[in-house]
Amino acid sequence: MAWRIGIDSGGTFTDVCLFDDATGMVAVWKVPSTPDDPSRAIARGTQEAVERVGASPADIAYFGHGTTVGTNALIQHRGVKTGLITTEGFRDLIEIGRQKRPDLYDLQADKAPPLVTRDLRFGVPERVRYDGSVETPLDEEAVRQAARALKSEGVKAVAIGFLYGFVRPEHEEAAKHIITEEFPEAFICASHEVAPEFREYERISTTVVNAYLGPVMQGYIRRLADRLKELGLKAVPHLTQSNGGVIGFDMAARLPVRTVLSGPSTGVVAAQAIGAMIGIPSLITFDMGGTSSDVALLDDGEAKLASEANVHGYPIKAPMLDIHTVGAGGGSLAAIDSGGLLKVGPRSAGADPGPVCYGRGATEPAVTDANVVLQTLNPTHLLGGRMPIDQALSKQAIGRLADELGLDLMATAQGIISVVTANMAKAIRVISVQRGHDPRDYALVAFGGAGPLHAARLARELDMKRIVVPRNPGIGCALGLLLTDLRANFATTRLATLSEALLPDMAGIFVALQEQADHWFAEEGVASADRRLKRTADLRYHGQNYELAIDVPDGPITPATIAALAEGFAAAHKRLYGFVAEGEAVQLVTYRVEAVGLVPKAAFRPEPDAGPDASHAVIGSREVWFPEAGGFVACPIYDRDKLKSGNRFTGPAIVEQMDSTTVLLPGMTATVEPYLNLILEMP
Amino acid sequence: MTTPASVSVDPITVEVIGSSFASIAEEMGEALVKASYSTNIKERRDCSTALFDVEGQTLCQAEHIPMHLGSFIGIIPHILKRHSVAEMKPGDVFIGNDAYEGGGTHLPDIVLAEPVFHEGVMIAWAVNTAHHSDFADRGHAHIYQEGLRIPPIRLYDGGVLMKDVQELILLNCQVPRERLSDLRAQMAANRLGVERLRALCDKYGRDTVLAAGKALQDYAERKMRAGIASIPDGTYRFSDSFDNPEIDAALTFSVTITVAGDEMTLAFDSPPQMRAGFNMVYTALLSTVYYAVKTVADPTIPPNAGLARPLTVTATEGSVLNCVHPAAVNGRIAACQRVVDLIHGALAQAVPDRVIAACSGAVASATFAGEQPGSGELWVYLETIGGGSGARTNKDGLHGVHVHMTNTSNLPVEALELEYPLTLLRYELVDGSGGDGRQRGGMGLRRVYRAEAPCRLNVDNSRLTSRPWGLAGGGEGQGGSFAFSEGVVPFFKGDGALEKGQIVEIITPGAGGYGPPAERSAELRAKDRAEQRY
Repeated sequence: MAWRIGIDSGGTFTDVCLFDDATGMVAVWKVPSTPDDPSRAIARGTQEAVERVGASPADIAYFGHGTTVGTNALIQHRGVKTGLITTEGFRDLIEIGRQKRPDLYDLQADKAPPLVTRDLRFGVPERVRYDGSVETPLDEEAVRQAARALKSEGVKAVAIGFLYGFVRPEHEEAAKHIITEEFPEAFICASHEVAPEFREYERISTTVVNAYLGPVMQGYIRRLADRLKELGLKAVPHLTQSNGGVIGFDMAARLPVRTVLSGPSTGVVAAQAIGAMIGIPSLITFDMGGTSSDVALLDDGEAKLASEANVHGYPIKAPMLDIHTVGAGGGSLAAIDSGGLLKVGPRSAGADPGPVCYGRGATEPAVTDANVVLQTLNPTHLLGGRMPIDQALSKQAIGRLADELGLDLMATAQGIISVVTANMAKAIRVISVQRGHDPRDYALVAFGGAGPLHAARLARELDMKRIVVPRNPGIGCALGLLLTDLRANFATTRLATLSEALLPDMAGIFVALQEQADHWFAEEGVASADRRLKRTADLRYHGQNYELAIDVPDGPITPATIAALAEGFAAAHKRLYGFVAEGEAVQLVTYRVEAVGLVPKAAFRPEPDAGPDASHAVIGSREVWFPEAGGFVACPIYDRDKLKSGNRFTGPAIVEQMDSTTVLLPGMTATVEPYLNLILEMP
Repeated sequence: MTTPASVSVDPITVEVIGSSFASIAEEMGEALVKASYSTNIKERRDCSTALFDVEGQTLCQAEHIPMHLGSFIGIIPHILKRHSVAEMKPGDVFIGNDAYEGGGTHLPDIVLAEPVFHEGVMIAWAVNTAHHSDFADRGHAHIYQEGLRIPPIRLYDGGVLMKDVQELILLNCQVPRERLSDLRAQMAANRLGVERLRALCDKYGRDTVLAAGKALQDYAERKMRAGIASIPDGTYRFSDSFDNPEIDAALTFSVTITVAGDEMTLAFDSPPQMRAGFNMVYTALLSTVYYAVKTVADPTIPPNAGLARPLTVTATEGSVLNCVHPAAVNGRIAACQRVVDLIHGALAQAVPDRVIAACSGAVASATFAGEQPGSGELWVYLETIGGGSGARTNKDGLHGVHVHMTNTSNLPVEALELEYPLTLLRYELVDGSGGDGRQRGGMGLRRVYRAEAPCRLNVDNSRLTSRPWGLAGGGEGQGGSFAFSEGVVPFFKGDGALEKGQIVEIITPGAGGYGPPAERSAELRAKDRAEQRY
């Protein structure tokens, strides 16, 4: 019982990362994904990966899994037929949203279609007022009729969302009870369970998304659990959520909306763990794939949490890592628009036909083609020789753009890189400068297939001095699954002025939230010694409408707690907005408890220092275009697998490994640290 | 002042710097929304941010509200009329709102403009405007009734607050606490713009940044010309009817558009300006034309001054669509919406596939003002309510959205009832309000309020007597209307009062359909019926 396994199921590949507790050995494996039923590839990947290391599924002590089943079902509108029961007069709320149109100038733009059609949205008489008092009691008969109507319409899931359900949940509870009586086979969820926070549209939308995905996720989890059992897995399987933590299958099936943005979250967790391991805790993560790049900021090892995001037109309130995504990847297409400027992305070549250099009929050049022309990427083959490529085709395609721009071929290829770098830098500015952090104080962690290829230019654009390239940048998410904890978030909204008069209420609310957390700990079987709680409060000046999350000090709630909150809020407000409104009342909006169940994690072991000489890892040389060096420069090619702890070398240089290429600009230095991560430094 | 004379910038650097300008304007906008206090800005996002070059030509506007471009394009020339660049210094902040002397388009939109200096040289302006929902419960016979008129004057002199100025302004506001806080948020937004633009100059060099700014304006001009050139040459005319709670008989507005090669001339005709709030100043007309032509020519043209160069806009001075002092202008956006209808109606004759049927044509609004029960503090709450968006050549229109010149959010029920003595009873789409057609027009909205304490109320709406037109045989959308509970004293010119427990219902117009109704598929008809849309 010594192996830990992380499996990240993506669109093209299912990545497997294995860690042996006894020896500290790491093994990685990839199998093609099976999008019609991802559990097939997961079972196969698990089986093959453990066989390769001479173990069996019964030897697995920990199983962590990341999936995009929920995300894809939402984006592709493949959830179930869903009904909504809401306050009379407000059934169109999920369609009206915030009444903004999707694009200011494009008259052809469309809104995301509502996930519940209008005939399946039932308003029932009931009304709670803002202070929690009941103006109109729930019409139970109307709920019953609605439940019957939804049942006869063949819906599979029912969402319940009433105004002020977060203040006084009784009406939602009663409605849920009635619907369960009438329609026990449906997936039913209520807004106070899914997202007990204020602003009705966002809360009810989140509840609807949860219902829409519920049966899909339940079915997936059931199939996966069966396959894993057949395989002989004894460990309790876990699923990732958007907050970067994992939960058991039961809770994942109840709250699938919390997994919708889980895709990139474990990559951030992997970066966090690597940062802790190598003593560089303040990081900006940069995960660049084929169609998009995900960026996030870790301030002194802490990932920022966001409480709301808009996913393809659907607002979702759920605890999630603050990850910003931009449509810039290796497959992003370059084109000249009607005004004569070079644009890159967000259109992408996709996996098929891929960039021009794949020779599968594409004619519009992608970022990858620019790298092939510049020879930062190998101009004859990729993926360790498995993918032949045709540089002449890339040159033709970029040559056409060059003629139109009146620039030469190499300046155009370099221009494509400059434009895509600017797009990515903009994404990083959103999560750093816009949140009051200076990127120069952070190291850039580059992963994903294309991250290490573009990291040096991106870091230079942002004036960042240091880059970390993990040992296996292509499987960041699968690795993160071995390094994360069980994590669940609990919240209650109660608006009140921050003052000592609030102390009894605050203590009471935190006790209630802690009870919910304890209940969850018990459900997940977390031992007392492994339980951790973190309390935060969302604050704003009375009258503002956007809150800042401030840590609540550990220990009993006392007048000192109030002082610490007030101080923390003033500092955060000053950092973000540049001013403190002296003498203005501060309002507490939402209380939050984050519960973490510690999981024994993969403990990597340092390698002994093999000295600075890296010449043994040089496997060849090629000409690479560096405008700062005035043109093509002969560059040594290093084999990542041969680099040893302590090795050092300087740029210009290229480091190749199976699924990634790292570029060192002239003058940069690279050091292999004891855990075999590559540290690049600017001159 | 500086002229980036001889620096030439390649198209890649222009794109990279253009992307930075856009980030700066967006970041300013986010800071303004998040740090503000009034519901109109913090929730409804009724504000905009921009960067201008020294001469007052737009470098970049964040995409919030097309109408606000009107307040922007006027402000810098008006500042420069009163103050010379030579006497400006870092930390100066100009405030203004007047439609005739301040570069604004109506008094609640207060503009703050701060010159940006780099190494002692003035290089640009950071500007933002926020709609302060104040100056409520006023008359609209002329601008002197509509609120405090502020010419462009210094609110900060070299970083020092002009307390006297601020006190004078705040004393003239009904909710001074919100005004002060929102002004602070506006200051914070400009501060960011100043810092970021300076950092950009440090990085790329001031001359390169300024040259890129010029190149971006040329780029927008080229895109606008390419878009106009794709519209067949010719002269296109269109007239439409404009109605409003302030007038008994509808007015007629008309336009003659001439497309010649890559240039376009728009000549507007409208009645003499009136003693009513819907007159518009020339800059408001310009920003409306820029919006409407851009949607047809090319929606991706960057929002800077270059796009205006191929356009010539005329309207008789002293008419509703080009008013002069002392016409009242508070409700000018109602007329602006009809100007968009005119332009789209005319261009539909040339490029029917690129135009949509008439949208709601209104910015239906409800402005409540009263005293908080208990504290007696004055409160003002403005809500603008979306409507139908016109059917497209091969798609139905959007339901219940803000159209054309505005795009503000609604105030959530759970935020509104907490702040004001009002209860929202219904907020829903209006069955049957979208025009029939092969593609149906979008549905209007119904919003029903109950007063929990006595308050004053002003309601605005349009398409009360006329209807949003369809295209290519499509039917008309339903018009707008109001209804009041029993006992409410009839409103006069949209003004009135509600007692505790009284109810107002506002129904906004739907939108026109596209193509003959007979061509709508049986499948879509069945869906329309099942969903009770029509």
